[in-house]
Formats: sequence, structure tokens, C-alpha cells
Amino acid sequence: MNGLRALKRLLLESSASRLISYSLLAIFAVLILAPEWVAPQSPIAVDPRRALQPPSAQHWFGTDDVGRDLFARVIHATRITLGLVAGALLLSALIGGALGLISGFAGGLVDQVLARLVDVILTFPPIIAGVVITGVLGPGADNLVLALAIVYLPLFFRIARSGAMAENARTYVEASRALGFGETNILIRQITPNVLPLILMQYVLLFPLALQIEAALGFLGLGVAPPTPDWGSILEQGKNFIMVAWWISLWPGLFLLASAFAVMVLGRSLQSRLGSG
Amino acid sequence: MLHFLVPRLMSAVIAALVSSLIVFVLMRSVPGDIVGQMLGQTSDPTATEALRSFFGLDRAVHMQFLEWLAQVVQGDLGRSWYQGRPVTAMVADAFMVTLQIALLTLVLATLIGVPLGVIAGIREGSRLDAAIQAFNLIGLSAPVFWVGLMLLVGASALFGWSPPFTWSAPSENLSDNIAIVILPVLSLALLQAAAYSHFVRECMVNELRRDYIRAAFAKGLGPAEIYFKHALRNILIPLVTFMGLILIQILGGTVVIESLFSLPGLGRLILSGIQGRDYPVVQGALLFVVFIAIVVNFTVDALYGLIDPRMRA
Repeated sequence: MNGLRALKRLLLESSASRLISYSLLAIFAVLILAPEWVAPQSPIAVDPRRALQPPSAQHWFGTDDVGRDLFARVIHATRITLGLVAGALLLSALIGGALGLISGFAGGLVDQVLARLVDVILTFPPIIAGVVITGVLGPGADNLVLALAIVYLPLFFRIARSGAMAENARTYVEASRALGFGETNILIRQITPNVLPLILMQYVLLFPLALQIEAALGFLGLGVAPPTPDWGSILEQGKNFIMVAWWISLWPGLFLLASAFAVMVLGRSLQSRLGSG
Repeated sequence: MLHFLVPRLMSAVIAALVSSLIVFVLMRSVPGDIVGQMLGQTSDPTATEALRSFFGLDRAVHMQFLEWLAQVVQGDLGRSWYQGRPVTAMVADAFMVTLQIALLTLVLATLIGVPLGVIAGIREGSRLDAAIQAFNLIGLSAPVFWVGLMLLVGASALFGWSPPFTWSAPSENLSDNIAIVILPVLSLALLQAAAYSHFVRECMVNELRRDYIRAAFAKGLGPAEIYFKHALRNILIPLVTFMGLILIQILGGTVVIESLFSLPGLGRLILSGIQGRDYPVVQGALLFVVFIAIVVNFTVDALYGLIDPRMRA
């Protein structure tokens, strides 16, 4: 009963864009957890006799140039594309966040050196850095994750660093020192839990941006290799048939748009709830 | 103002040097180089060795880097290993293409984004505001290259028109040039207009909540004067910073759009350089990108001083 009332309040108090965002997130959760339940067809089975068919009752999203069912491909790609971005950002948050915490807490020379090193990554626009890393290392899921993790590392570093600096200056840290707690203990037990929400928030805010880069790299042929379904890679494949088979390109783009939109709105509502920080 | 700008410039130069070094080492540490690409599968050891020494790849990496750096300091980026053309000329040609796209995008995005943001900020909470915010969210969520693809399909379906495939510079053939750049600029401008509009709206909303605005209303100033003379003037500084950010973003964002519309710009130069392992081209073009980012940031910092005299101290 209580849960129902809370849900009702959530729905009543939310703006249209939030409602759309939450519904989309729920749909994407289903697509990630059970794609074969939504799209039982195989996303990789080739059938040349059915190549480049427009959307129909049998193939809702049409078929691609080798006759694979696009509905199955786009649905199954949800887990792969969003999973790659989520994993890459998690890696980035762990490394960047940890380095930032240490840098902001330790200060001095450690801070100077780490901050300068991280600034080097920021000298390139993110997409250029992504192109260079995946281009040099070669396409593939692992290099794509590595590239995204490196590109966004400075942003996690910065937020964790400034968070750690701010917390370090507060009275409770001074009190802990006076009570004789060790520095490692203060950093791990007291500062980190207080900086964690900032890192989490950064994660949600960066997700749509990283998703765009992931898709762009896939589109340039630097991402996940076919036949694995990935929205960016399907778009790359569709590019060559854009004038004869627009449907190959339409659907993955719409799914990218919808997922970026959903996470962006979520990020903004988190931001307004936690204050502007 | 100098003591505020010089340290920034210094650290930017150091960052550019370190990033060049990383790119240099990274490219040489992965398997596959130009020699392998030239000889293909059937390479014999003598030819491999001869070519490697011809390109200087047989020497220690740090020596190669120092030699390259010595050339760069003299303004020479070397020659392309494939085309034999000087890299400076190739980068300059490609940059003119990218710059045209970037500037047109910046102008279009400013013309659309700023008024939308101002209107949404003034009418905060209205239906119009909600509509503009929805536009912003969609513009920010839609992948740029996908918008480009859809524009291609739309233009062909609605008007039976598609852009020419080969590049013409504005000086060669202006009408062909416009036909080529219009769709790339529109696709990039949608995203950037949305980013602008969102940013300006936030600034405007914050500014209009401040006490001096209330005081201005109380003393009977007209809304036009308050919005445009007071509020807008105060958001100019963040706006200029944002313009710099957007320009850098557009310069980066053109990589994908250049590849889609076959524009011979900077992004394509970098991409094809990486794919062909044409090291001098990649290094030169990347160094140039970093240089442009530094110049833009530096200009933004200097503009602060012009807009806000308090910064000049």
C-alpha cells in the first residue's frame, strides 16, 4: 500500500520528460535482461534470400544486406552497447575516482604530478582521443572499452579530487586526526563515502556522452566487429545502403537517442535533487 | 592579465609535448607499420630492413621523437609517407575544410540556440519553456551522424535531392560548396544549438532570480531593458567560455560527419593517417588539433579581460 502511494506520488509530481525517461529506463532494463524474450529470432542468422527487405509483419524493423532480422539485432544490441558503455565508465570511475581521491587528499607533489598527467588526456577533444586509441590499437570490444575509460578518466579524477579536497578541510576530518585515526583510515572510511555520491552523479551525467562516443566509434568502424550486434556498428553497416534501405539506419539511431535521453533526464533529476553540486 | 595567462600557456605547451610523446610511442609500440602495409603478406627480410631504415623506423624511439621534435620547432612537420606531400600543407588544406564547417555551425547554433535559451529562461515554467527544453534534450541525445543520415534520406525523399560527392572549396565553386556543406552543418548545428539553448536557459534562470533584477523591476525599468541590458550582459562571460568549448567540440565532432559526407577535413586526415600508419601525418595533424584547442582556450581567457575589466587586474 505504502509502495503504491509512493509510486503514485512519483508519477504525479514528475514532469512529462521524467515520466518518459523512467518508462524508457524500465523498457531498456527488460531488453537488457531478456532480449530473447522480446525478440526470439536470431540476431546473427544470415538469410541472403531475404536481404534488404523493408519493415513488414514478419520483420518489424526490416532486414539488413545479408538478410539478418534487424528487430532482433537492434534489441539484442541493447545489452551489448549499453553494457560496453557502462563497463567502460565503471572502469574509468574506479581508476579516475581512486586517483582523484588520493590526489586531492594527499595534495603536494603527488597532486601536482597526477593532475598534470591527467590534463594531458584533456588536450584532445574526446572523440579525437577515442579515434586515436581505437585506431592505433585496432577495433574490438576490449579496445573500445579501454578507449572510453581513458577518455573519461580525467572527468572522474577532477570531481573526486575536488571532493576529497573539500572534505579534507572539514571539521570532522580534523576531529578524526585529533582522535588519532590514521590517514589511510580517514581516506577510506570517512572521505571516500562522502565523495562517492559525487562520483556516482558524474557517472550518470557522463553516460549519455560516452554513449555518443561509443556509437561514433562504431560508426567509424572502430568499435565492435560484426556480426555482434551493436547500435553503432549497425549504423556503420547501414551507411552504405542509406539510399536503398533507410531502415537499417533508422532504428539503431532511435534506440541510441532514446537511451541517451532517458539517462540524461535521470542525471538531471538526480542533479536537482542533490543540489547543483 | 599576463601573469594570469602565461602559466596557463606554459602548462598547455607541456601538455601538448607530453601528448605528442604518448601518441608517438603508442603508434610505434603496436604491431603493424607502414612497411608491413607496403609489402603485404609476401615480405622478404631484406626489403623490410631497407624500408624500415628508409623511414627511420630502425632507430631508437626516443631518437626518432627528438628528431621529429627538432623539425617541429622549426615549423616543419615532415612529409607524408604515402603522398610525399609536406604535412603542413596537408593539414592546412584539411583545416580549411573543417574550419568552414565549424564556423558555419557555430554561427547557426548561436543564432538558434541563444534566442531559444533566452526565451525559455524568461518564460521559465511555461509551456514554451517545456517545448524548448524538450527540443534541447532531443538535440543533445540524437547522435550527430545519425541526424546526418536521416537528413540525407529526408532530402532525397522529399526533394529528390542529394549532395554532390566530391568536395569543392568555396573559392572554386560556391554553389557546389554550399550544397556539400549544408547537411553536415545542419546535423552538427542541431546538437550544438541544443547545448547552447540549455546552457543559456540555465544562466538566464539563475540571473533572473538575483536581487538586482528584482530591484530593477521595482524601480520601474521595462522588461526589455532588464532582460537584454542587464541579465544578458551578465551571462556574456559564461557564454564566451561556452562558445570556446563548443568550437573545440565541433572541431572534434566533425571527424564522424566528415567521414559520413566524404569531406576532406582534419578528422578524415587523422583517421586515414591512422589506418595507413602514416605516422608523420597523424603526429602533425594531432599536434595541430591540440594547438587549435590551446589557441581557442587562450582566446577565451583573453576575452574575459575585455568583457569584464575586473579580470584584468
